[in-house]
Amino acid sequence: MSKYLAVVVLVMLVLVGAMGLKNVVTAHGDGSPVMANGTGPVPNPPWMANGTGPVPNPPWKANGTGPVPNPPWKASGTGSIL
Amino acid sequence: MGRELDQGTKARNVLGPTQFVIWCLGISLEATVVVCAVLRGSFRRYIFLNLYMAATLLVEIGRFQFLKHFGSNSFEFIYFYFYSDALLTILLYFALISLYTVVFDEMKAEKYVRFGAVLLLAGTSLFTYAVVHQSSAKILTHFVFELCQNLYFVGLVLTFVLWGAVLKLRETRTRVIQFVLSLGVYFSAFAVTYALRNLFPNFQTPYLAQAIGFFLPFAWVYTFWRVPEEARLAPSRVTVVPR
Repeated sequence: MSKYLAVVVLVMLVLVGAMGLKNVVTAHGDGSPVMANGTGPVPNPPWMANGTGPVPNPPWKANGTGPVPNPPWKASGTGSIL
Repeated sequence: MGRELDQGTKARNVLGPTQFVIWCLGISLEATVVVCAVLRGSFRRYIFLNLYMAATLLVEIGRFQFLKHFGSNSFEFIYFYFYSDALLTILLYFALISLYTVVFDEMKAEKYVRFGAVLLLAGTSLFTYAVVHQSSAKILTHFVFELCQNLYFVGLVLTFVLWGAVLKLRETRTRVIQFVLSLGVYFSAFAVTYALRNLFPNFQTPYLAQAIGFFLPFAWVYTFWRVPEEARLAPSRVTVVPR
């Protein structure tokens, strides 16, 4: 049992270390992907797509004809994000 | 499938010759890794490493087809890219865990390694879900993207922990040492590049990510082809200062 507990502690340490490292590395990041498997060209994630053609709404954006607000993760200001 | 693209979009969607050459070389190297492993009789011994490389090869071919049909700025290509990348990252995670089982083989700690691996994957997924859940209504794509990034950093930490274990346990199998070191270089290179890019926004590295992706299959081809399974090395001699 104690060995399993030791594994749990180690796992938590690794997780905390990894997420801490991620925060350090991506603190001033622009949201682009850090890594890429393979040698092909790396596209921007769907919410950063560029191009000259018509850009369809990504799946999490609302449909409709009204004004589209910024998604929550792009919200500016100091208030809490619901 | 039959969507017509205007000329400007078509022009932007075309790969440059350098990108194309690097990509083709990378795909060839990935195929060479699997072929070398089979020819050297090491396919089953390092099954997860080879499965990862075989899956990367298939995904790369799929990406090429998507890019050819839809273009590099199309959502079809982008979605295929990131969903397949998440699968590859999970496979790479298991490849790394398989190296843990090889290193801890003599300690009969396989069940603890498996338990830890599943727990860590579950913990990373839960953490990712907790973060994504607060910031998005439709979360699947965000979850896949963030899980991929988080697993990458978990892999980075795990590789250095494994390197510490290799030194501590005085692991001498050259192939294992080569695999661990190549993964360490691979993971670290991405983190360093990303940090540099954010620290110095004018620091343009158009082909660097592709070149880093080129490194891993190259190192594995070298390991499978040039380093025999029986080869031994003492990494502790390199790092420990003699008293």
